[in-house]
Amino acid sequence: MATLKMQNVTKQFGRNVIAVKDFNLEVQEKEFLVLLGPSGCGKTTAMRMVAGLEEVTTGHIFIGDREVTELPPRKRNVSMIFQNYAVWPHMTVYDNIAFALKLKNLPKDEIDKIVKESARLAKIEMLLDRLPSQLSGGQQQRVAVSRAIAVNPDIFLMDEPLSNLDAKLRVSMRTELKAIHEKAGSTTVFVTHDQSEAMSMADRIVIMKDGEVVQVGTPDDVYHRSRSIFVADFIGTPPTNFMDVKIQKETNGTHLVNPHLNLLLTSEMANHLHNYSKGHIVLGIRPENILLVDSGKAALSASCLVSEPQGSHQVVAIQLDENIIKAVAPASPKIAPGTDVHLNFKQETLRFFDPDTTLAIND
Amino acid sequence: MAKKIKKTIKLSKLISKTIFYMLIVTLAIAIILPAFFLVSLSFLSTREAYQYPLPLLPSMSTEYSLTHGNRGYLISVYDKFDEEYQTVLDTSELEKITVYMKNQLGTPYTIPEIEEQIAKLESGAEDPVYFSASKNIFLNYISFFQISRDAVPALLRSFQIAGLTILVSLTIGGMAGYAFARYIFPGRDALKFSVLFVRMFPGVAIALPMVIILADMGFYDKPVGLVLVYSVGSIALTIWITASIFMGIPESLEEAAQVFGATKFQTFLRVTFPLALPGLAAAAMYAFLGAWNETVSAIILTQFNPTFPVVVYQALLGAVGNVNLAAAGGLVMAIPSLVFTFFIRKYIQQMWGGVTI
Repeated sequence: MATLKMQNVTKQFGRNVIAVKDFNLEVQEKEFLVLLGPSGCGKTTAMRMVAGLEEVTTGHIFIGDREVTELPPRKRNVSMIFQNYAVWPHMTVYDNIAFALKLKNLPKDEIDKIVKESARLAKIEMLLDRLPSQLSGGQQQRVAVSRAIAVNPDIFLMDEPLSNLDAKLRVSMRTELKAIHEKAGSTTVFVTHDQSEAMSMADRIVIMKDGEVVQVGTPDDVYHRSRSIFVADFIGTPPTNFMDVKIQKETNGTHLVNPHLNLLLTSEMANHLHNYSKGHIVLGIRPENILLVDSGKAALSASCLVSEPQGSHQVVAIQLDENIIKAVAPASPKIAPGTDVHLNFKQETLRFFDPDTTLAIND
Repeated sequence: MAKKIKKTIKLSKLISKTIFYMLIVTLAIAIILPAFFLVSLSFLSTREAYQYPLPLLPSMSTEYSLTHGNRGYLISVYDKFDEEYQTVLDTSELEKITVYMKNQLGTPYTIPEIEEQIAKLESGAEDPVYFSASKNIFLNYISFFQISRDAVPALLRSFQIAGLTILVSLTIGGMAGYAFARYIFPGRDALKFSVLFVRMFPGVAIALPMVIILADMGFYDKPVGLVLVYSVGSIALTIWITASIFMGIPESLEEAAQVFGATKFQTFLRVTFPLALPGLAAAAMYAFLGAWNETVSAIILTQFNPTFPVVVYQALLGAVGNVNLAAAGGLVMAIPSLVFTFFIRKYIQQMWGGVTI
């Protein structure tokens, strides 16, 4: 196991496509780090550069104390799980797992021991003499996992390993991958575009957009202290609600105002706007931090557009001009479409964003 | 009512089944009959081969009758179709008789054996003397190689040419196919189509320039020259076959091998090659069949060192001129391609996972 360090790594395709821009990252030993972002954001490219499958245009990559920037993949001692499993169809499961060990010229009985041990970890010990074509997608994924464990790598790379599985299996494999990570104690870099996957598995999440890192932090950090409108919008289902508001200073304190809203900020929250000179901000509020209140205490009143029952709770959507605001409310009483709802916000969870830079003001 | 419907269904099923089998049988006959005809012809004696109607199966022996004739001995042969003895020879030279028996009827007979029959006739015990001689069924094949003295070296030469053509077209075509499948470069599609252009020209049409160019290179009438000519055509085909098979192999399989410790060469040897084997086998088969069967260019581009198809072709011409010998030669030519095709079929059918031709 080792640390991974990427210093000012840039990847350019052709003359004008920059896939990864000045990427800096340090992954701690035994950390489970998730690269998260929409498709085309450069997260897979960043991982492939760690594996050595893409050349680095500029910058340096270190695994432990070794600089690996120029090394071919086989000399980096990393292992990788691919999105399409990439188990070799002409080899049995056993041979798939033993492939790397045979190339290392290990003695036969040792290979046998390692193969059986890693197959046991991935729960495929009874499938060893099957061919991949006889396995289901989930089983093939387990073969890929156990092949990756067998080499005892410095860094574990996983490139959207769960996205080809069906929804239910995906969730259960999440838990298992995490358990295998705990057991093997490996440094892991995991690429995904699925934010709930990232939230549930990561020690730290790196959120990328257009080849650049937008925010690095624990799942709590990126969820509750999103650094930009992009992150706040990308993380969470339903995502953060945004409203353009004007700052109005009145005698009783600072108000955030727009045609639908008049919110008196607590002095604590108002302090965050102290050094802010522009008159407008984008207000961000997570659905679960919107409260249904009596009409007297409301900062915002509107009629319910639809309500989506979710069993444990319901998602209430209201329309304000073009904008749809979603709030999470208790499952009962049921709110019928068309009824008036009165909303207020948990003030300490509000996020203020600069409309020009899209960055958060209250950090 | 239900019964009636059941009956109708049964009947219509029966009819469609019957039509199906009729079609299948017709197709089978259309394919098998010419092949059967060729095989049968190759075992017929010369006399049988020029008979009308042609016998369906070769005879295993011939009935002769021997009696006195105007110029010596009169030899007659029993004709199964006309059900009578037909006089074929009237001579006193015993050697002429044996040669006739062997060449025309495929029944090798020695002079002492003939003398024995004549002795029976002279003793007056029988007149005419009836005797039967058994046929050497493989005589056509033996004669073919004896008469066309080039046959054996030509056969070896053909093997050599076919083998080298496979080698050249698989190495060059396979590598080009891999490049077409894996890399995007300007003009790729145009180039991929243009390699097929070489197959548009009929061999005869470009024969003269080919002769001149090969002569300039010093390859005229040499196996290497033919290998070059055949390779051009089969490289084009190999590129298309292997490119499509390489495209079917996900790149991530190769990447996985590299991540798990393989060099580029090991990756090719252990992952890419085994997965591409069906396509390579198909390409090898086409290259072999192309080089093995090609006649027109071989006739033009060889003089003293013909290939086997050229020898068979010559056997059909007047000089040597026996259809049954030519049939024997044709069968000899067909056997290697049959064996090769059957052998390679196993690999073509072997398809791994998503990899198909």
